[in-house]
Amino acid sequence: MKIDDETTDVLIGGYLSTEAAHEDYEAVLNCGKRLWGAVVVSKDLEGNVSLEQTDHTVEEGAVGLGGVGLVVGLFAPPLLAATAIGAALGAVGGKALHKKIGSQVEKMAEETIPIGGAGLIVAYPHSVTEEVESAVTRSVQKVVGEAEGNHVKALKGALADAQKKMAEQSAQGNG
Amino acid sequence: MSAIDRSHLPIRRTAFSGAVGKTLDGSQPDWNLIGHPTPPEGAPNVLLVLIDDAGFGNPSTFGGPIQTPNYTRIAEEGLRYNRFHVTALCSPTRAALLTGRNSHTVGFGSVGEFAGGFPGYSATLPRDCAPLPRILKDNGYSTAAFGKWHLTPDGQQGPAGPFDRWPNGWGFDYFYGFLGGGASQWDPCLAENQKIIGTPAEFYDEENPYYFPDAMADRTIEWLHAVRAQDAHKPFFAYFSTGCSHSPHHVAKEWADKYKGKFDQGWDKLREETFARQKELGVIPAETELTARDEAFPAWDDLPDNLKAFYARQMEVYAGYSENADSNVGRVIHAIDELGELDNTLIIWIWGDNGASMEGTITGSFNELTMQNGIPLTDEMQLQLSERYGGLDAWGAAIMDPHYSAAWAWAGNTPFQWGKQVGSHLGGTRNPMVVRWPARIEGAGELRTQFTHVVDVATTILELAGIPQPDTVDGIEQDPMHGSSFAATLTDGAAAEHRTQQYFETVGNRGMYKDGWWLAMKTDRIPWVLTPDALRPYAPGVWDPDAGRAELYYLPDDFSQAKDLAADNPERVQELKDLFWGEAERYKVLPLLATMSTFFGIVPPIPQDTKFEFRGDVQNVLSGMIPRIYNRSYSITADLVVPEGGAEGVIVAEADHLGGFTLYVMDGKLIHTYSMMGVFIFKQVAEEDLPSGEVTVRMEFAADEAKPATGGEVTLFVDDRPVGKGRMDHTVPIRFSGYAGMDIGRDNGGVVDRAYESKKPFAFTGTVKKVVFDITPHLVAQDELDVHIAEQHGQAAHALSE
Repeated sequence: MKIDDETTDVLIGGYLSTEAAHEDYEAVLNCGKRLWGAVVVSKDLEGNVSLEQTDHTVEEGAVGLGGVGLVVGLFAPPLLAATAIGAALGAVGGKALHKKIGSQVEKMAEETIPIGGAGLIVAYPHSVTEEVESAVTRSVQKVVGEAEGNHVKALKGALADAQKKMAEQSAQGNG
Repeated sequence: MSAIDRSHLPIRRTAFSGAVGKTLDGSQPDWNLIGHPTPPEGAPNVLLVLIDDAGFGNPSTFGGPIQTPNYTRIAEEGLRYNRFHVTALCSPTRAALLTGRNSHTVGFGSVGEFAGGFPGYSATLPRDCAPLPRILKDNGYSTAAFGKWHLTPDGQQGPAGPFDRWPNGWGFDYFYGFLGGGASQWDPCLAENQKIIGTPAEFYDEENPYYFPDAMADRTIEWLHAVRAQDAHKPFFAYFSTGCSHSPHHVAKEWADKYKGKFDQGWDKLREETFARQKELGVIPAETELTARDEAFPAWDDLPDNLKAFYARQMEVYAGYSENADSNVGRVIHAIDELGELDNTLIIWIWGDNGASMEGTITGSFNELTMQNGIPLTDEMQLQLSERYGGLDAWGAAIMDPHYSAAWAWAGNTPFQWGKQVGSHLGGTRNPMVVRWPARIEGAGELRTQFTHVVDVATTILELAGIPQPDTVDGIEQDPMHGSSFAATLTDGAAAEHRTQQYFETVGNRGMYKDGWWLAMKTDRIPWVLTPDALRPYAPGVWDPDAGRAELYYLPDDFSQAKDLAADNPERVQELKDLFWGEAERYKVLPLLATMSTFFGIVPPIPQDTKFEFRGDVQNVLSGMIPRIYNRSYSITADLVVPEGGAEGVIVAEADHLGGFTLYVMDGKLIHTYSMMGVFIFKQVAEEDLPSGEVTVRMEFAADEAKPATGGEVTLFVDDRPVGKGRMDHTVPIRFSGYAGMDIGRDNGGVVDRAYESKKPFAFTGTVKKVVFDITPHLVAQDELDVHIAEQHGQAAHALSE
């Protein structure tokens, strides 16, 4: 299936531990379905940032997920709710949206990913939503955005939709 | 020689009976002048052991899953008591145990942290209620206390005292332990006699790490050896009060791993297994019914499968922690045996100052203080946070401050309902006790079933030692003890009931026992829920304590409180209600819910001090005594001397990575790190190097609003020049830590910022001349009052968890 052939979904998950984020990252990659790609960004207790990604769009001749800034999320609302961790993660994505994956994004992540936290972004065709969402079992905050169009437009649209939903969810203080 | 008058303490010295001339010629000495009082002939040594936050169904001695071979040994060589009762909270039980008076009467209707403005809740011992250690000391005993104290008000735990509220002031010659309600077992902030000594140096020995339960036993044995080295005959009174099994549940992995897989069946089946063993052992009557699960506790089978290992590990750690306590008590008993004095030692060993604690909420927590600070976390979040700090294998290690699920506590209180804080039911109030003293006990290994209360212990010890209750102490007339001696039960299993009536009250949960009948009046509030909605029904003018549900049990036929007879016995219910009110007035229980008065706007005056100055050598300021920086703007200013070539190290640090702040210098940069209970960690780093010479650095926090946990902006300054900034979205609303201290010039114990973990305590290599906290009152008086009330709410919530 080509990336232009159907609606694209983007899932954003927020985590309080890097282990949980990596567990879900591995689970979506092994869900048995073809994804466009996934990115997990985490920061350990000493402040070291790590980023791991799998990008299948390049194989499709597309520009690659880095081109649309897959490390995404939303700003952190001032709530005393642990679910705000997901929102805090979002700050990375908001700033990283137009950055290419690489040292610049890692620098941004260093500034905005909470110490000890992690975020997961998964992009995939809408037809495998059920398999992907059921593989993501450990996020403390999760949203899914979707959009149609050519691959870059769809990815960016889905990303924006996910961000919007994350903001709404965080504002309500639930995850 | 005339009999010693022990009714007035201190015992008066006898008059000089010799003769004094102008010179030695003709003078006759009286050697009694340099003597000291001795106890009556035959007075035994006393070892009083109190385990913390544990249930009737925990130790294997009483059918529980936790192996307690030393407890069983003492029971088999002595007696098991299966109808022994405590108050449902830490400090009140300790106060009753050590004074022989009902806890409210001696100011401990609540805990030491909550020193309220009503007589029954002042956390201050009245001078007309001299405690047991003082009486024993004045009668010639050597006295010492080891471990948890929890009878000194918050705010009075520093070098300014007053020390009459510390263990020495209660009559202990020697004290080694911690003053608060709980402590890390790996890096506690300890007191020795009248000094806070902080975290022991052994904490920094990674090959042989310090462990408080081991050190407690070591110190007790050392003290016994030292006393005997000086005096071969003087009886001792050793009070061995473990930090275990209170949270944080800290124990080495190998102890927890002994229970690997032992709790995979869950709490519902664990209760059934314990119940069956209890019947087999005969520690509960054959006809006892297992009480039903309240809907406040989830069924184990309803938990998500992927979280069951998380929950099971919580109990594995608790079990290993508790077995370790049994082992260390065993070491002390062995030492007494080696001295050849075991059979001359009265051992009273109580397994739990209240029922097992449900304060971990249903999820359990990687950090016990998250609940007290009102941070809502699901079980998945708790699991992830534990993963952040090392995962399930580290649950029990120094990097976490864990507490298990309330449902495990409930299972630990098998066969009863509820647990700690619930004074209306046996899950909170009935705990195991064993007693050993071969010189007096007949029928070793037998069970005793007389209704007994913790208030009876002091009276019993005095009777067995042949020491009367004093009429006056220091010239002050004494109120008689309320205890009723159970000495007769040592020799006679059929001895008459020595206690036929007893009130119980904890946080509004009331029980009234009389002649076998027990009236239970529990508030509807679930003990671990302190939300506004949960508290609203108990506001002044709203709550009618007589209108709530009343349950009635007849304990001789119903050991576990399984059959509520209230509906068929309205007259009995009313009789016991009336009796309760009379007892409540008599023993200063009123006003009910005084423990929660701050929740309803009855708060102490707003402190007026806004500036707090600490010179560079101040260390180990206990967590209840740090400047009140919560929920407001504040600044920390430090005057430093930085040598040429720079300096590094901590300028000031409070508590640790699970809640605290640190202002330090590393790689030439000024850094501020703030841990919001280990859930959120904020860090600001200066953008330029710290200069050398006389330097003033400052951290300013500008709060967004006058609300608990307010976010705000941080700015770092060097010599009034801004050098860095950052945002903290959330701040700690109530309290960083239950026990860790604040230090100037270093970060003692567990560190706040893991970035300098390898350099701990990371002492400042320049000079910290002084550190000044300036707190900024809110501009609007109502805001200031609201924040003050919110902080007091939090302190009360914290207190209720200790």
